[in-house]
Amino acid sequence: MADDAASRRRRDPAPSRPNTGVAQLLAVFDDPRKFWLAIAVVLVAVAVAPLLFGQYATVILTNALLYVVLCLGLNIVVGYAGLLDLGYAAFFAVGAYAVAILGQQTALGFWAAIPFALVAAAAAGVIIGGPTLRLRSDYLAIVTLGFGEIVRFSARNLEITGAASGISGIEQPSLFGWHIDSPTEFYYVFALLSVFAVIASVRLANSRLGRAWLYVRHDEDAAEAMGIDRVRVKLAAYVIGSIYGAIGGIFFAVNLGAISPESFSFEQSVLILMAVILGGMGKIPGVILGAFIIVLGPELLRDLGELRLLVFAVGLLLIMLFRPSGIWPSRKS
Amino acid sequence: MRITRRTLALTAFAGAALGGLSLASLPAAAQDSITIGVQVPTTGPEATYGNDMFNAVKIAAQEINEKGGLLGRQIELTAGDSACDPQQAVNAASKLASQDVVGVVGGYCSGATLPTLKIYGDANIPFVITASNSTKLIPANPGNAFMINSTGADQTTKAVEFMESKGIESVAIVNQGDAYSQDLANLTRDAWEQAGKKVAAFETVNKGEQDYSALVTKIKAADPDAVFWTAYYADGGLLIRQLRQGGYRGTIAVGDGSNSPKLFEIAGRAAEGVYAFSNPTAEFLPKAKSFSETYKKQFGNAPGPYAPLTYDGMMLLAWAIEKAGTTDHGPIIEALASADGQEWLSGPISFTDENTLARSNFIVLEGKGGEWALAE
Amino acid sequence: MSLTDILMQQLVNGLVLGSFYALVALGYTMIFGVIKLLNFAHGDVYMVGGFVGFGVLSAVGGTLGADWGGIAVAMFLSMIAMGCLGVVIERVAYHPMLAAPRLSILITALAVSLVLQNSVLTLTDGQITAFRTDLGFGGLEIGHVFITYNQMVLVGTAALLMIALETFVSRTQYGRAMRAVSIDKDMCRLMGIDVAKVIAITFFIGSALAAAAGTMAGAYYGSIWYFMGFLIGLKAFTAAVIGGIGSIPGAMAGGLILGLLEAFGTQIPGIGSEWKDVFSFSILILVLVFKPTGLFGKSETERM
Repeated sequence: MADDAASRRRRDPAPSRPNTGVAQLLAVFDDPRKFWLAIAVVLVAVAVAPLLFGQYATVILTNALLYVVLCLGLNIVVGYAGLLDLGYAAFFAVGAYAVAILGQQTALGFWAAIPFALVAAAAAGVIIGGPTLRLRSDYLAIVTLGFGEIVRFSARNLEITGAASGISGIEQPSLFGWHIDSPTEFYYVFALLSVFAVIASVRLANSRLGRAWLYVRHDEDAAEAMGIDRVRVKLAAYVIGSIYGAIGGIFFAVNLGAISPESFSFEQSVLILMAVILGGMGKIPGVILGAFIIVLGPELLRDLGELRLLVFAVGLLLIMLFRPSGIWPSRKS
Repeated sequence: MRITRRTLALTAFAGAALGGLSLASLPAAAQDSITIGVQVPTTGPEATYGNDMFNAVKIAAQEINEKGGLLGRQIELTAGDSACDPQQAVNAASKLASQDVVGVVGGYCSGATLPTLKIYGDANIPFVITASNSTKLIPANPGNAFMINSTGADQTTKAVEFMESKGIESVAIVNQGDAYSQDLANLTRDAWEQAGKKVAAFETVNKGEQDYSALVTKIKAADPDAVFWTAYYADGGLLIRQLRQGGYRGTIAVGDGSNSPKLFEIAGRAAEGVYAFSNPTAEFLPKAKSFSETYKKQFGNAPGPYAPLTYDGMMLLAWAIEKAGTTDHGPIIEALASADGQEWLSGPISFTDENTLARSNFIVLEGKGGEWALAE
Repeated sequence: MSLTDILMQQLVNGLVLGSFYALVALGYTMIFGVIKLLNFAHGDVYMVGGFVGFGVLSAVGGTLGADWGGIAVAMFLSMIAMGCLGVVIERVAYHPMLAAPRLSILITALAVSLVLQNSVLTLTDGQITAFRTDLGFGGLEIGHVFITYNQMVLVGTAALLMIALETFVSRTQYGRAMRAVSIDKDMCRLMGIDVAKVIAITFFIGSALAAAAGTMAGAYYGSIWYFMGFLIGLKAFTAAVIGGIGSIPGAMAGGLILGLLEAFGTQIPGIGSEWKDVFSFSILILVLVFKPTGLFGKSETERM
């Protein structure tokens, strides 16, 4: 709806709606001629941000970039394949715990542990997705919620995950003699991950699989009639999404140096989902914007003390009421 | 022309958000006051305890300011909401560090406190940890953090000794599934089994569950001489009430997280005869009694279990700043390390080489007539 | 206690807990029925209902007494207040979103939940409020199985409310309209049904039931706090899905089943209290794998 307005405005420059400013701003990216310029501006901004701002801003932006990776992953599940997932933090947890446990119990080292963590997350995706993807989305939502809680409770109860105290003393990685440990270094690691995540998301969306997702999302029965194996296609979305989550978790664990079950709660899953829908499901710049709002919003309101979440929630509500399809929705939906 | 304007607008949009962040990292207070950071959860499910701790710091700062402040300067508090979440805590700590705080008081939820140690350590900011007491904090401490809450081991010793003296043979241990209460429960189980006694049941409840009747039935069926609740008063009050309602007649003991007058508000008369292990606090020192009254007057409810300790934390930090005679971090940390066992609300404070509390003087309280009294 | 005694006692425990779950699950299911929304703010309505009930009881407890008589008045007023709050929430936050993509409205529900929770957090400074009543501990002892009078009143009240709801939905004009709206909103509009009004009534009833549960829970367990809606909201949502979301008998059955699962899960050796939620959620997943529409749900195709 808002997109129609935006495209109409491109032909007719007379502003007519109160949100014209934002739409106009966002339209920069929709215009192929200006697209690369805008990308370049964003990349330069990302590259110089830690040089311009202090350590606090760097830490927050690192957190936002982590959310970009997680949100792009969930976007594949929710935005591309149209599956409602309320337990995405589970995959985030699998990645984080796998790399922490392997680092502590084996001599693998960080980089060698990554493939195992990814396989573990993909396996988790298959285990939960395999039997349940035939369900309607509301039922799938509660199954994923249940799965998320099972993972969190298991982390809380098991010895190997350090029970409620979690795992601490996770070694920070080295790469070719470069020891990654300062906030700025981690910022660039997450910036790099985000760029990869964006590129992979773009390529996936334009791939054969991406078109299959689009088809399944719009009309499952018709897709099936056209020979698309909808369960396999959905499962692929699930597995790819879980790998994104695990990558986020792996680097989250080494960045913090300590993990505990509190990080993988239902609220975490809900926050990631909020970011995806708030920004505009299915559309990469929208999802990125959503991730930044969800992280920066409460952070900018920190001085309000216990009021900050209240003010943030009212803000969310207003945004949704004024832009019901998300701030920057996909034109296809 | 329009391209530039739009691009400019977009840049301005991003810049405004980032500017907000970097503005926020400017020192919040005017140059002539001393800024102290308070890292506690003020949102999320743990805000109950976090706000309680924050209130205690407010009372301490107010008392110091009324007496003319520190080094002739007024104390200003700045909150760092950890939300009991490791990432949120790191964000809060980074913000406090960027605001050039002279010191930080607080630390609730060991999982959230742990990753902040490195941040304060890198900035060499003195950090008085007043509630988190997981032993995992010790190896992660770069030397600038001081734990004034005793670790679970001390309390376990007292609990086992006391229950043995009461002739208790079998005990049901119940925790709440968080680091603090799980740690205390595990330590107690091990010590109790080592003493050759029986652990009749070892259970975990979820915070905020309200209904513990199924657990009560299970405990009744296991028929232990005592039930030991290792977590906080909010759920503990409910459990005690339901244990008594369900007809359990054995001994009930609770850990220091339940040592609050609020336990009686929630559990009512079911809390009569309940034993609590605690730092020598609350009504048992004249100073502590006046603290309790001030707290009640100012905030309309009774102080929670960590309020006296957190008040002490602020006072101890103030004492160290006075002793150092400067707001430079190094001398304050040295002053803290030299804490010489003088009496605070929660007893004497001095530190081991690991910056943990160098004493174990837990006392046993008993619920009598709706308040805590010393148990014989 | 013999094993039979233990199991009988757990049955009683499960029924009491299940009654709360069922009352809250009903709201979830009814609201889902009419606007296909997973109303995440529902648990928080339960919480606010508890606080309103507490406020009323504090005000009238002096004259009416703070036992079941006073509590009944508190519950009734809280139900009306929360019913109205439910209607306001629907009008302000959900109604403008009905034409938007289905998941967008989920975010407004989450935002409303945050607003309610943090408002109460701010108002109470996050402190736990003791819900003082004059209820006794007395009860009936049958063999070794102990049932308190409070538990009987509670389960009885929940049953009454559910019977009243069932009668309303199956016998009255608005009840029929509600069922019709949940099947096909557009067709209802064509048939001259005031859909907006039906939706408002559904929110009123759903929220009122949550308020009844919130007030009773506060009085029965003895304390209320700003976060108490979270866990029960999650559990009631689960219960509604087990029963088949959208189905009213399903929500009642789902609530009781979940309550019983948790009670017996606590008792099963090798599972124990720390794994009981894992047990419940595993059962839930298994139920859905083998009966994908829940126990009472109708199968239907859907588009997101």
